[in-house]
Amino acid sequence: MPASKAAIANLKGGVGKSTTTVMLADGLAYFYGMTVLVVDLDPQANSSQMLLTERGVQAASDQGKGAHHLLAEFVAGRPASAAPFIMPNAVTLEELRVAEEQDARQGWISILPSHPQLRLAELSLEEEWYGRSGTPTTLSKALADYYKTAFDPLLALYDVILIDCPPHLSPLARAGLSISDNFVLPTIADSVSTWGTKQFSDWVGKFIAPDLPSRNFVLVTRYRDTKYAREVVTQLREIYLKDRWFGPNIPESVQILNAMDRPAPDSYNSFRGKYGAVKGDVRRLAERFTDFLSHRTGETWQKIRD
Amino acid sequence: MAEDTRLSAVEYIDRFFDELREEVRSNPRLAARLVKALGGNVVFEDEDKADVANPYVLAASGAKSRFYSVYGGMKPAEIKKVLKQNNLATSIDMNGKSAAQLVDMLFERASGKVLERKSSIF
Repeated sequence: MPASKAAIANLKGGVGKSTTTVMLADGLAYFYGMTVLVVDLDPQANSSQMLLTERGVQAASDQGKGAHHLLAEFVAGRPASAAPFIMPNAVTLEELRVAEEQDARQGWISILPSHPQLRLAELSLEEEWYGRSGTPTTLSKALADYYKTAFDPLLALYDVILIDCPPHLSPLARAGLSISDNFVLPTIADSVSTWGTKQFSDWVGKFIAPDLPSRNFVLVTRYRDTKYAREVVTQLREIYLKDRWFGPNIPESVQILNAMDRPAPDSYNSFRGKYGAVKGDVRRLAERFTDFLSHRTGETWQKIRD
Repeated sequence: MAEDTRLSAVEYIDRFFDELREEVRSNPRLAARLVKALGGNVVFEDEDKADVANPYVLAASGAKSRFYSVYGGMKPAEIKKVLKQNNLATSIDMNGKSAAQLVDMLFERASGKVLERKSSIF
């Protein structure tokens, strides 16, 4: 089966998109042995930083790897191919590294990293495009077509491609959403984030996916078990995001903050060591998302680790 | 199989369901959540409904008569508690209102919030 492409997206910032991306990548690779490609289209480069470290992001850029280099290819009118810009190793889990070392790969993570330079490159492209009477919509469409061509040859190499989208409707974000099969929507149990889910549903439903509910996986992040939060989640499930797939509530946790801060580019940790008290939450996230993918594609995956 | 050989697996299960049964009897909110999770229809009884019913969910269902059947018979103090707990009114908003006016306010404001937050497409 070709890889499923899932956009991790919300028009609102600060809802845990990058953290969700990394937890999903780790969970799918660790528990199901999936080969995962993370595509970081957010110029804040947070998921890249979480997987590679800040130094690693800069080193990747210096080696010519990254979404900003792929964008430069588009600007230069060169053929679309994402493979040369991907960092093949974005693994932080010791179990995955050891299996690979023993030539028995059991789950892997690669990344097309981002870099703050990406936003400047995108702005420059926008100025030039609009100066030639192009519009945001035609630019997004041209980028989406280019990315589709660039990623199509990779679909056979991966099980899942996770596209971390920026929290606004830039041409890059729209292109990322356009090429995705599914949409992971992280949100927080509060009123402004609930309103944000309406903006997401309205915009994506109108311009990208008229069948959004069946392609939408919702995740409540930074969850604190209070009466208020429970009420908001009830409303999300029963009113505003009815008929969507829901993952487990991901708790607000210092452990998660630590898990997203890799000590060094050559540092590895066991799954238990990285996720500690929240390892069960990451496992449930991977299980639920795999159920969602199975429902969408008909493909089934077996768990290889507990 | 259970590790403790003093009880059979069936006895463990019995104990678990006994505990669950007791909790459901004394905790109407949990009872409502479990019934909903199992696909059942929650019926609100007088002594529990202020705690169990969610005005947003009831307003979103579009069944105005059901909404009024749940909140209509409540005392002003109970309705004020619901309005306040659900962030639908301040003390100043509720000042001097009758029970009927408070229920109207609850319905209108809960419905308004649902409209604001619900997708216009889905």
